[in-house]
Amino acid sequence: MFYRHCEDSDGRLMGGEMTVDKVAEILDGKVLYKDKEDERHVGKVVASDLMSDVLLVDADDILLLTSLASDQSIRTAQIVGAMGVVVHNNKPLPASMLSVAQTLGIPLVTCPYAKYESCVRLYKALCAESGSEEQ
Amino acid sequence: MTFEEVRKSLDGVWVTDGLDDSQSVSNAYTSDLLSDVMGNAPDDSVLVTIQNHLNTIAVCTLAGIKIVAVCHDRDVPQDMKDAAEREGVAILRTPYDQFSASCRLSELCGGAR
Amino acid sequence: MDSQSVNAVGSTVRKTEAEGDALVVMELIQRLKVRDVMTRNLVTLSRSATLREAQLLMRENHISGIPIAENGRLYGIVSIDDIIQALDGGYISEKCVSRMSTHLIVLEEDMPVSFALGFFENYKYGRFPVLSKDRALVGIVSQRDISRVMLYELTQEINRLERQHTRAPEDRVGEGAQLYMLREFPVVKYDFENAGKAANEIKRLLREQGVAARLTRRIAVAAYELEINICVHSNGGTLSFVISNGVAEVVARDTGPGIENVEWACRDGTSTANEWIRSLGFGAGMGLANTKRVADKFDISSTLGKGTTVYAAFRLDGAEK
Repeated sequence: MFYRHCEDSDGRLMGGEMTVDKVAEILDGKVLYKDKEDERHVGKVVASDLMSDVLLVDADDILLLTSLASDQSIRTAQIVGAMGVVVHNNKPLPASMLSVAQTLGIPLVTCPYAKYESCVRLYKALCAESGSEEQ
Repeated sequence: MTFEEVRKSLDGVWVTDGLDDSQSVSNAYTSDLLSDVMGNAPDDSVLVTIQNHLNTIAVCTLAGIKIVAVCHDRDVPQDMKDAAEREGVAILRTPYDQFSASCRLSELCGGAR
Repeated sequence: MDSQSVNAVGSTVRKTEAEGDALVVMELIQRLKVRDVMTRNLVTLSRSATLREAQLLMRENHISGIPIAENGRLYGIVSIDDIIQALDGGYISEKCVSRMSTHLIVLEEDMPVSFALGFFENYKYGRFPVLSKDRALVGIVSQRDISRVMLYELTQEINRLERQHTRAPEDRVGEGAQLYMLREFPVVKYDFENAGKAANEIKRLLREQGVAARLTRRIAVAAYELEINICVHSNGGTLSFVISNGVAEVVARDTGPGIENVEWACRDGTSTANEWIRSLGFGAGMGLANTKRVADKFDISSTLGKGTTVYAAFRLDGAEK
């Protein structure tokens, strides 16, 4: 299956040399906050709007793709040690969200795409990076 | 993509009975927020979600969604199943998470629009 | 002996949660017990001793108070004040029992040092006798005893923190046994602006203490779910977090309305949340199931109309669930 080209048997992304800046580039998004020193790479992509669902994921360096433009996305991201949060559809963010991201040290990105399209764009980029051609 | 192609690509199981196999869908949308689905989902879609709630079906009928793919193999409550059959919406259970399911579907419907 | 009820006095001790106080010190005075700081080498006199004997004994041992005790039973204390008054009043050759203070305030050996500090703050005495559970005299505590041990323990703690900073996180597993922590967070119904803050803080604390990453995440997940539960489903309550004896406990207590069917509520995917709650990213019906999944020990009790208590415990010894 094509999908397996970018994920190993443990569900960890392969070719994962993707920083938050790179993610923003792929998604034509804006990085609203990121620590200069933070060079973490995407370990796993999680696309979810339900926080309990995110908490269920057992992986490091999660990139959280969500439509939930609220402080809770950031708070949940901190709990699971996420490496970044992307909010979709250019949703306006509550004023507090950026400051929560800064306080908790969670990189925050907004992008114009729907979550489905972000998934697909990231998937293609990851496949390209891991050197496998689509079949 | 036909219903059967969608089911196969998601390694899924149909939850609803008596659906029309000849149908097909052309888009996909991934969301767990019903307001988001209502406002932004393209019609003629597969909805990738973990929102296994009765209200999901109501939103699907309004937004023109034909298949609900419930991720993580989450249980589908009886009232949701009943409503789906009544409204002609198909429910599919898939073991994948929303990201994986989306990636898989993109192989069928040609990726990001 | 006429000893005052220690529990009643204990309650006047200031809260250890006082803001601005150094965390390490707060934890230390909770973790250390009176028995850890008290002097066990007791200089005592029997009931037949005179004040003159007490005076000589004080001079010899450079101490300012002597318990009058026999076979572990405490009868009173003669202080240097009593001696001065005796010299002044010309009754120094009288027996101690006739002049000693019998209105005694005592500490128990398994009380935390924070109690002892509270005693010194609330009473003018320079020392307190220490009794065991069965009321036998086992030691005596002065403020100097406490300072000495605190200084030693703080030095140890600083050394430990310094070591921790220079070591990889994996090596820190198992050190949890020495950790003590206590936090309580109020959670307000439907206050989504602040919901999750307590869990974020708990996670930060655990990380700071060098608790292993996976364990930290499990505890944080439970804390978050339980905090959100109070916010979404109850009339409000508190989330408390305790680490002691190598175990971390997250306890959520609310003031109602209680859960009608606890078993149903714990099942994955069941929820009483409404559409508004779901639009906020909650109410997936996974909260209690998630908590149960990550915890080593899980317990829930609920009374309709009264409230619900959920308990999740985690071993810090590094054993993975």
